[in-house]
Amino acid sequence: MAEPILQVRDLRTHFFADEGLVRAVDGASFDLHAGQTLGIVGESGCGKSVTARSILRIVERPGRVVGGEILLRRRNGQLTDVARLPSDGAEMRSIRGGEIGLVFQEPMSSLSAFHTIGNQLIEAIRLHSDLGKKAARARAIELLAMVGIPRPSQRVDSYSFELSGGLRQRVMIALALSAEPRVLIADEPTTALDVTTQAQILALIRRLQQERDLAVILITHDMGVIAEMADDVVVMYLGKEVEKGSVDAIFHAPRHPYTRSLLRSIPSVLAAPRSRLATISGSIPHPLSRPAGCPFHPRCAEKIGAICETTAPAETVLPDGHAAACHLLTRAPATVPA
Amino acid sequence: MTEPVLEVRSLRKHFPIRRGVLGRVAGHVKAVDDVSFSINSGETLSLVGESGCGKTTTSRCILRAVTPTAGEIRFRTQDGKSVDVATLKPQQLRPLRRQMQMIFQDPFSSLNPRMTISEIIGEPLLVNGVTDSRERNRRVAELLELVQLPAAYLNRYPHAFSGGQRQRIGIARALALHPSLIVADEPVSALDVSVQAQIVNLMLDLQDRLGLAYLFVAHDLAVVKHVSHRVAVMYVGRIVEIAPTEALFTHPRHPYTEALLSAVPVPDPRHRAKQIVLEGDVADPSNPPSGCHFHPRCRYATERCRTEVPTLREMAPGHAVRCLRADELALQGVTA
Repeated sequence: MAEPILQVRDLRTHFFADEGLVRAVDGASFDLHAGQTLGIVGESGCGKSVTARSILRIVERPGRVVGGEILLRRRNGQLTDVARLPSDGAEMRSIRGGEIGLVFQEPMSSLSAFHTIGNQLIEAIRLHSDLGKKAARARAIELLAMVGIPRPSQRVDSYSFELSGGLRQRVMIALALSAEPRVLIADEPTTALDVTTQAQILALIRRLQQERDLAVILITHDMGVIAEMADDVVVMYLGKEVEKGSVDAIFHAPRHPYTRSLLRSIPSVLAAPRSRLATISGSIPHPLSRPAGCPFHPRCAEKIGAICETTAPAETVLPDGHAAACHLLTRAPATVPA
Repeated sequence: MTEPVLEVRSLRKHFPIRRGVLGRVAGHVKAVDDVSFSINSGETLSLVGESGCGKTTTSRCILRAVTPTAGEIRFRTQDGKSVDVATLKPQQLRPLRRQMQMIFQDPFSSLNPRMTISEIIGEPLLVNGVTDSRERNRRVAELLELVQLPAAYLNRYPHAFSGGQRQRIGIARALALHPSLIVADEPVSALDVSVQAQIVNLMLDLQDRLGLAYLFVAHDLAVVKHVSHRVAVMYVGRIVEIAPTEALFTHPRHPYTEALLSAVPVPDPRHRAKQIVLEGDVADPSNPPSGCHFHPRCRYATERCRTEVPTLREMAPGHAVRCLRADELALQGVTA
């Protein structure tokens, strides 16, 4: 397999809040390849968004990347550790948007209401290229057409509030791809959208990925979207990477009790009407009172005993890049269920 | 067959669009346009559809948070009378409000942060004349047990609770006055998956125990499958299909329902289904397309669909469809 475009190694991003230390991301490691989609999934507070923001170095104070490496293979083939760069330096600014594009959840609040979408696109295009105003405008119209916006030469002069949610998200994607990045990070790109619009946007991301051999990091809480889109999956819980593997392994041979119970608790259109859902007891702990040992132990139905309460489990590597951090895997012989 | 708790007939809610300095009425947004359905006690009817389809406005009309433009909302009161909520005066509505309650979407903004849990749940009791504090506390304790929260939480404030716990508090408050109808507008959509499952199960259990009727307003079809006896699909102010849950999911009869179902991502990578990706956006309810509102996005549309307005026709017992071609189309539902 080709060299990964992005390698994240033991990433740690902590928030030094007045109330205490929040380990928002506490050891995340994964590889991202061109043309592939890596899904990062988890519930609120698991650190999936902070992971994305760490890669782009836009973590807000009092948060800081405190450890690990974020190795980006640059256009010129050189390897840069993004974690070491000053977050507001020239190099980071050219990577952000230039080599790694970002699409947020809320297209309403991430687009300016005071500038036309065309002007916002032109600004982004000129920031990362030496195109003149006219050429940049032509490029903006081209980008709008590429993301499937009807009548792009007229829409270029409209304001974001004149567009529907689906069109706004298309504009966001056009903005993110304006400098032709090779990595696209999409943070809950369809969460605020209706289901038919979501299907349109996911189809668009898939098409653009194929056309441009884009590497995509898709962050979502929706296991359905992950199943639909991802090649590989990272499951996070309270800042920890609990399991990672191919999408098929995660859904059909999950090894971590959290992944297993999360999958069981998802409502499905295939379920029998009025059927009860499997539940995970309790709720996600407050980030400031994270349990010792394995972060999932207070809610885990398969807890072994004292070791889960006191010792954080190390990651056990299984065949085919599948890995999980659970004491069960070191106790029992690693037999993969069929 | 029991009599329905709620019967909505030809409900309409049109909002005027005002233009210019004189506020001249330039048109109407037909948010709800001829909607009819009924709900029995112990039954859940879900209203589904995309944003702007009129599902929330319908539920707000039923609670009389807005006054309908036309139509009847017949509610069977607990003393057996049938009243038309649509035309009651505010003072006549008050005694009815305890019998129809609401569960909100956002458990973070719907609880007063300055009140303890016991005050929040006890408030509807106090307002409705339960002035004896011992009796009130007894009922509040009973309600906490009903929603499976420890009695020790009574004197805490909402900020100390997680989203799921707050939603339980909201449910306890809604149940305080023994309602017969609960209107739940997206009650689990703000919750994490693992917590959502707990609240869905709780709502099912409470319904079985108390014989509640639920009007469940939601956009998540998977959650709808788990809670509903029947489902009504709305598009631009109208019900386009209404059917028992299993029939609607496995044998949809309206092309919009088919497209909606196919767009739901199934949590199984071996099931990457061929989706029907609808073109364009939901029609503008202030200027809906002629004929069938769905025709510009419908892959089965014919010339007739552009001009003729379809009526809601019963195709099978309890299964009605608003589509001119419902007899001839063989549509795809969800199957494992």
